[in-house]
Amino acid sequence: MKRLLRAAALAATTLFPLASASAETVKVGLISDFTGAFAIWGQQFQQAIQAYQATHGTSVKGPDGQPIDIQFVYRDATSAGPEKSKQLAEELVLREKVKFLAGFDLSPQAMAVADIATQAKIPTVIMNAATASITRGSPYFVRVSMTIPQHTAALGRWAAGNGIKTAYTIVSDYAPGYDAETYFIKEFTKAGGTIVASERTPIQETNYSAYMEKVLRAKPDALYMFFPAGAPSIAFVKAYAERGLKAAGIKLLGTGETQQILLPQFSDDVLGTVTAFHYTETNVNPANLALKAQLTKMFGPDAGPDIASVAAWDGTDLIYQSVAALGAKAEGLKYIDFMKGKKLDSPRGPAIVDPEERDMIQNIYIRRVEKRDGKLVNIDIGQEDMVKDPWKLENPAKK
Amino acid sequence: MLSFAATVLLDGLSYGMILFLISVGLTITMGLMRVVNLAHGSFAMVGGYLAGWLTQHGVNFFLASLLAAVAAGALGALAETTIYRPLYRKGELAQVLLTIGLVFVTTASVTEIFGALPYAVKLPDYLTRAVNIGFRDYPAYPLFLIAVGGVVAAALWYVVEGSILGARLRAAVDNARMARAVGMNVDALFTGAFVAGCALAGLGGAIGAGVMALEPSYALKYLRLFLIVVIVGGEGSFKGSFVAALSLGVVDTLGKYFFSQASSYLLYAAVFALLLWRPRGLLPAKSAA
Repeated sequence: MKRLLRAAALAATTLFPLASASAETVKVGLISDFTGAFAIWGQQFQQAIQAYQATHGTSVKGPDGQPIDIQFVYRDATSAGPEKSKQLAEELVLREKVKFLAGFDLSPQAMAVADIATQAKIPTVIMNAATASITRGSPYFVRVSMTIPQHTAALGRWAAGNGIKTAYTIVSDYAPGYDAETYFIKEFTKAGGTIVASERTPIQETNYSAYMEKVLRAKPDALYMFFPAGAPSIAFVKAYAERGLKAAGIKLLGTGETQQILLPQFSDDVLGTVTAFHYTETNVNPANLALKAQLTKMFGPDAGPDIASVAAWDGTDLIYQSVAALGAKAEGLKYIDFMKGKKLDSPRGPAIVDPEERDMIQNIYIRRVEKRDGKLVNIDIGQEDMVKDPWKLENPAKK
Repeated sequence: MLSFAATVLLDGLSYGMILFLISVGLTITMGLMRVVNLAHGSFAMVGGYLAGWLTQHGVNFFLASLLAAVAAGALGALAETTIYRPLYRKGELAQVLLTIGLVFVTTASVTEIFGALPYAVKLPDYLTRAVNIGFRDYPAYPLFLIAVGGVVAAALWYVVEGSILGARLRAAVDNARMARAVGMNVDALFTGAFVAGCALAGLGGAIGAGVMALEPSYALKYLRLFLIVVIVGGEGSFKGSFVAALSLGVVDTLGKYFFSQASSYLLYAAVFALLLWRPRGLLPAKSAA
């Protein structure tokens, strides 16, 4: 594959030496799921990018004062495995000649394009894919979302500092679940909390009554959950209320389970759940209000925003800024160097691109689910300033 | 301890009842009609989504569930006469390919209409509350599932074992050629049974949505459970699938209580062991024995 890529790149440059010189257009290849189980991600990425282009225009003024068009090319990874995303990346790089890659809702999709990004020197803006180690996969990776340990470590510290002495943890039995469990427990116990018991449940489980009975018998102060977005967390919260845990005063803690797009699926059982996250939809940052207004104007009141929109908005902003500063033809790594240490004017609040790890250093907000105007929303009740991914602090890059 | 055991039993039974309601139709298609109907879960999913939509638009939960059963049955009738009937004489590969294709069609349609996120069936308030059952407070919803499952199972048992219709059906299963030879309309019997099975699946999908959550991948996600119920019960055996579904529910719940880490393997290990011991299932229909 390496040889094929190189040969194709060589052929492209010798056969069409003028093609790239004539038009000042920067193409950005966006890979995400637009159909299948994870279709919501692609939809939100695309809507936020379109909203950004509607407010900021489709071109930027380059360093020489000439306008450069920025054109997004969307590709559907169809919620299939990493091979699909790799194949799409190859197609975008070789045939569409994209200058940037972006998107990637799931971690395996991002990991699968690391080699392509490195070999073809394509700066790649990852807009979700939250496995901590990902940005180490290629020096061309920049991530504008979050990592799971970032959230859970902050939550563990908050819980221990806010009257919760004992906790029971239940996570989905997959890699992000282990990350979540590890860092919650580590920070919670370090700050003086005690873990009563820890369970891992099959990834697609939606029948949690048995687990709830066990928690009820253990009587912890709080129950910590980590589940993939959607059916499992909804079923979990339902069982939590149905089995009387809520009535027994056991607090429910989580991270992304109550994010904005998912909240309407829950019943009022979810009220009072406390989560740690890097974006709260009800914050009143001017950038957040602007994004919300634009999304509502273009796609109706149900269009968000949520973390996917915020990451796509910020990622697009980074690409615009770097093209404006460096023009359409800079070396891939130059764009990355430009992005390092960049302070974002993000709808989420203060955030910078970690110059070492090319990951977000950002505020983590502690939120509680409440009801406002008949709608379930997250309301900030606390925050921890500028949290760096704890996994990377513990696992320094080999020099 | 006793109350704990009773809780496990109730949890397991309620889960098993839903599995039974949905799977019994598959017992008919796979066991009786010998069609490898991988699309069976689609009928439950359609029923569930319809009930979800109706309840979210203010329709009473029971009426919505009933309508879901009717709609799933009607869809079953349509599918049986147009898609399934030509398949009966085709090989198993054609059946597998076509029915799995149907699953993809329904999954895509549901995503298109209702979106990719999970979809809720709104339960009436009194079903979401806990009731006192003597030794503890227990949620009303699982009790409701057990009651509905019990009533349906009893009605089915009466129809299959006690009525002339059931006698004909059993005769057709045991020996379809002989049944035809004595003048029974085997095709009509099977169509009726197929429709009934789809209707029950639709009902199960609707009332069971609190246990088996509705999402576009539903038809595929739970397919293995439905297949296990049919295979463990013994192909074509109503009693068998009843016993199998309930045991499956209880084993699964026990696994979660005591070996949560291994619970997803435990179920399959139990099925594996059981099929080694009785390859034809627990209570196979006579023709298969």
